[in-house]
Amino acid sequence: MMLSCKEVEYSVGRFRLRPFSLELEKGEYCALLGPSGSGKTVILELIAGLRRVHKGRIMIEGKDYTREPPQKRPVGILFQDYALFPHMNVYDNIAYALKISGMTKPDIFRTIQTSVHELDIVHLLDRFPDTLSGGEKQRVALARTLMTHPSVLLLDEPLSALDAGLRDASAALLKKLSSDGLTVLHVTHDPKEVELLAHRSVTIDP
Amino acid sequence: MLFCIFARNHSKMQRGNTYTWTRLAFIFISGLVLLFLVAPLLGLFFSTSLPDLFQAAADVQVQQSIGLTLGVSALTTLIAAVFALPLAYLMARKDFRGKALLQGLIDIPIVLPHSAAGIAVLGCIARDSALGRLADLFGLNLVGSPFAIGMAMAFVSIPFLINSARDGFQAVPLRLEQAALTLGASPFRVFRQISLPLAKPSVLSGLVLMFARGMSEFGAVVIVAYYPMTTPVLIFDRFNSFGLGYARPVAVLFVIISVLVFIGLRLMGRTGKKNNDVIL
Repeated sequence: MMLSCKEVEYSVGRFRLRPFSLELEKGEYCALLGPSGSGKTVILELIAGLRRVHKGRIMIEGKDYTREPPQKRPVGILFQDYALFPHMNVYDNIAYALKISGMTKPDIFRTIQTSVHELDIVHLLDRFPDTLSGGEKQRVALARTLMTHPSVLLLDEPLSALDAGLRDASAALLKKLSSDGLTVLHVTHDPKEVELLAHRSVTIDP
Repeated sequence: MLFCIFARNHSKMQRGNTYTWTRLAFIFISGLVLLFLVAPLLGLFFSTSLPDLFQAAADVQVQQSIGLTLGVSALTTLIAAVFALPLAYLMARKDFRGKALLQGLIDIPIVLPHSAAGIAVLGCIARDSALGRLADLFGLNLVGSPFAIGMAMAFVSIPFLINSARDGFQAVPLRLEQAALTLGASPFRVFRQISLPLAKPSVLSGLVLMFARGMSEFGAVVIVAYYPMTTPVLIFDRFNSFGLGYARPVAVLFVIISVLVFIGLRLMGRTGKKNNDVIL
């Protein structure tokens, strides 16, 4: 099993997440559906380690990551607002994880070149995030996340902020990542996205 | 000059059709306040002759006191930053019991009379205090030393750095720090490479404010160290011993230096400032 959430419980203030369980096979594309305020994003943050699980366990590739900090988890997350670092250009944003891993500059350059050609962002490398369109920001954020070679990719409403034309292109890209074998958990409130992309869906009750 | 600026803005307002009597009254009242601030300084400058100013600038005692004041204040600010920035970050990012109390504690030096602050610092470094006894073992007397001056300066000025840096860290979106964590960065790397660079304008502004506040401190410094004399103490000493005419050139010289620091502060603080214009 690639990702396994077992009876995960969490509460903050007046919000309380009901015990949540989910199992994802390698290469599976699962949509997490639910109305606003149901805790979809909270579940992604729990899996990524950005919030601490109160009860239950989170296993990735058979290893228990429940108490591991976010930087030790083999999880990539694409935030709804993309969270690109505004003081770094696109190249430095994408290279961020590679620099942390201690890769040499020529190796970083080679690795990035392959990825930016695939995502069609090679012409953006010197630009700063505030000069990019929504679709461009998303592709850069995706490239940055994929540099960590995550076992599980978490997507928080990846298509909601894009206009119709870009949405199709972005959906095609996500489909391609999934067909390449990446395990994806995709949070959305749009059943159309589920139909288009996901192998199956899980609904969270408020 | 101020009224020229207002007149220009006034004509712009009429063009923009946002002219109101309230705004006109506010502009007039604001002009009075600005006049109140500028008039004593202009009076100080106009009543000091250039030869007197050059004589003060050439005075070795004045030069030494300015060097001491700027040097100790700068060093104090840099050392204080090592301790103040982690505290500011915690205050910006963490919620904990007693946080409001801690914020009150940080602000205490701002509301204390500075002579009382000086007495408090003196109690910490006097010969019968733990720190004083420790220094005594090495044959040092902290009272009346540059160390005492730095302590007094830091005590009254560190809240400005902590509060400014805290505001800066608070303005950094949490999502950016979280994104860096999920990309494999340690919390310290996130602080160094994401939080600190993005909070830089506020941190720099806090550093300059602390430096400026420290170097202009008189009340606390005069109690822990009359000698060696910082410039504010020297101005007081000359006024007390020889009168206004003898103290004024030193005061003008120090005001010029303070204004230069102030301009630096405004230039650094300008980056990233939001437009807070409100239509009255």
